[in-house]
Amino acid sequence: MSGATEFDAVVVGAGPAGSAAAIALARAGRSVVLVERGPFPGSKNVYGGVVYGRILDQIVPAWWEEVPVERWIVRRSTMMMTGTQSLSVDYRSQAWADRPYNGMTTVRSRFDRWLAGKATDAGARLVTSTVATGLVRDASGRICGVHTDRGDGDLRARVVVACDGVNSFLAKEAGLLPPAEASHHTLGVKEVLDLPRSVIDERFGLTGDEGTDIEILGCTRGIPGGGFLYTNADTVSVGVVLSLPHLAAAGVRPEELIADLKEHPSIAPYLRGATLREYAAHLIPEGGYDAMPTLATDGMLVAGDAAAMTLAAGIWLEGVNFAIGSGLAAGRAVDRAIGAGDCSAAGLASYRADLEAQFVLADHKRFRRAPSLILSERVQQRYPGFLCDMAEELFTVTNPTPKPGGLRATRIAAARHGVTLRALAADTLRALRVFG
Amino acid sequence: MGEPVAGRPSGGKRTEPGAGPNRTGGQTGPLVVACVRIVDLRPHVDPLTGRITRDPAGLGLPAPDAAALEHALRIGEAWSGRVVVAAAGPSPAPGGTPDAVLGELAALGATVVHLAEAGPAVHGRDRDMAETALRHPGTERPAATDSGALWELTADEGALARRIVNALSPFGVPAAVLCGDRSPDRGTGALPGFLAHELGAAQALGAVAVAPGDGHLLVDRRLDGGWRERLRVPCPAVCSVEGGGVRLRRATLPALLAAGPTAVHPAAPVRGGTVDGAREGSGPGPVTLRILGPPRPYRPRTRIVAPPADPDPRIRLLELTGALEAHDPPTVLGPIGAPEAADALVDFLVRHGYLDAPLPGAPARAGAP
Repeated sequence: MSGATEFDAVVVGAGPAGSAAAIALARAGRSVVLVERGPFPGSKNVYGGVVYGRILDQIVPAWWEEVPVERWIVRRSTMMMTGTQSLSVDYRSQAWADRPYNGMTTVRSRFDRWLAGKATDAGARLVTSTVATGLVRDASGRICGVHTDRGDGDLRARVVVACDGVNSFLAKEAGLLPPAEASHHTLGVKEVLDLPRSVIDERFGLTGDEGTDIEILGCTRGIPGGGFLYTNADTVSVGVVLSLPHLAAAGVRPEELIADLKEHPSIAPYLRGATLREYAAHLIPEGGYDAMPTLATDGMLVAGDAAAMTLAAGIWLEGVNFAIGSGLAAGRAVDRAIGAGDCSAAGLASYRADLEAQFVLADHKRFRRAPSLILSERVQQRYPGFLCDMAEELFTVTNPTPKPGGLRATRIAAARHGVTLRALAADTLRALRVFG
Repeated sequence: MGEPVAGRPSGGKRTEPGAGPNRTGGQTGPLVVACVRIVDLRPHVDPLTGRITRDPAGLGLPAPDAAALEHALRIGEAWSGRVVVAAAGPSPAPGGTPDAVLGELAALGATVVHLAEAGPAVHGRDRDMAETALRHPGTERPAATDSGALWELTADEGALARRIVNALSPFGVPAAVLCGDRSPDRGTGALPGFLAHELGAAQALGAVAVAPGDGHLLVDRRLDGGWRERLRVPCPAVCSVEGGGVRLRRATLPALLAAGPTAVHPAAPVRGGTVDGAREGSGPGPVTLRILGPPRPYRPRTRIVAPPADPDPRIRLLELTGALEAHDPPTVLGPIGAPEAADALVDFLVRHGYLDAPLPGAPARAGAP
């Protein structure tokens, strides 16, 4: 061990959290090595969503001029569906089509490479195709580096920042992450489908680099979760996110649910003629605030998915921006700890305080009850059909029978789906408390 | 032939391998060179248009080139020699994938000479001819018109070989040069031959194993029926190797951290090894590209075979496939001259119905009585 290379910090995982931590550390003048198991940053990452770029303002001024964007999201649609119906809340803003932009679709293999490039530009040392296989501890048991799968592959550092993703082996070895609980995880599966750019523009009502984000409820055969459809430059991503224990209990293969979604009358016209380019699946830590691990111990911090910092709060489904925010905070905390000469858990405690002072933990804390509400039986299995039927009662012309009033339409639809008005009122109140 | 014997090469006939200024930290042993090409290992090919899209993230060493490098490192160790990697590929961007690949090569302990390629650019007559060759039969639509495909089609590996030899000249004369036998970028596989010509070296192509000997290389090659032939190739030697057999070692972490862009020696730019590059280079003269016509698939004539009449399906299947039948044993004809060998091949094809028998009165073939 005496010959092991020594750095101020070792960051494990060159995803958004890891690269952000490396950027913060390198810009603070600390020696940092960024270890990535894939042949390049982003090679192992799967996501199917939108990257919200405000956090990037802290890293690269005018980042939108160089980020590898697919499309800028200008239209957000939340769709509730049954097998034959759909009801959408559709919002579009041209303000999102111009600088400083709101969100974008991107390809992670390009985005992660770009962000890791900022880290190396700042002076971080990127080591790819190298797996961190365990933690190095000193005689007192304090973490002081990582073992890797290369020859002579021990890296010694004052602090290890574990950004090795959901199911983090390093955080588990450090005793920070309890054994994985299925109920705190969802499985995201997606297909990327080829469609010509002009066809995407025409079908989704887009021009130039404009993009659409459609979130869907009620497309999972009652399995708690939801669906999504995003436009990229010349592909679309379509997929579902499913509660892990419920998926296992249902005995349904996730690709069957994607096939259902693609055949839905509200979705199929968007995808007609599209050809499959790739299929991917990934675990998502959606346990929220209450399922987060301890964030720091002596000589080590946890950030990003490894710290369960994915916000799944119904209308807000965000991960990459939370990973970047936590990575930056981790980098700053390590810098402060090294400056103070105290890399113990107490010396690294400013990490959590920093996260609570900004959106990363503040949003998680505010919406900590959202996962249980969103994944509840009524929201998942009854409300999509109830709302669709209510809309159908209202919009179906039944001449010569007079139109039903709104209250009667609600009663008819509620009765059809076993929703009592008492339960409806209770859930409305609960939603106000969660999101208010 | 005996088993390989480790030792130092005693030199070639025309040159003194390993001679030359020392660039590798005081080592004076024989020079062993691995020629590799950094290419996109997983290019996306549009199934409709044939358009090829390359991603810098996919850059890496093809398996045959990785095997060539591993063989070179092993030979260098056996001979206590110096190992130089001549790596052709895209210009490295700081922190980019080409840079990472080159850094990994340097971390293996070899001196890396990078022959930066200027990128696909094919113009003028070469482009016209390449597009003609790529055109779908019966249509005016080229199968693929992206510069990368044309660049590969018109690549002149003779010019690339001259560039490599020029780039290696400061290191001395190689005792052994190892290349991969194929690459996924539609290489012609002719580079080792051109290198052997430029170096005045012996060559052995398509090796499955290469072992260092005393003044020679012992090279195993495939023969039919699972047999191998073992060649004793005198140094200086150029060998191309298959991708299997050996796995390229991984650099240690300290070596990887120590290796950086400065560990790579840039060589004179190569214009992609193209015909243009040859014209602009300092090689022996311009190389003319000849494309004889649009490529057509080989379609042998259909042989009409009467269906087997046996009522037993198993017997019919055996008759159709020829399984369990005694076949002609291999025939040793040689050594004979090329005309006689050609006649023997033609006779074999006629005998088995692949060629029509020569018409009566046709001129006698070279080896015919």
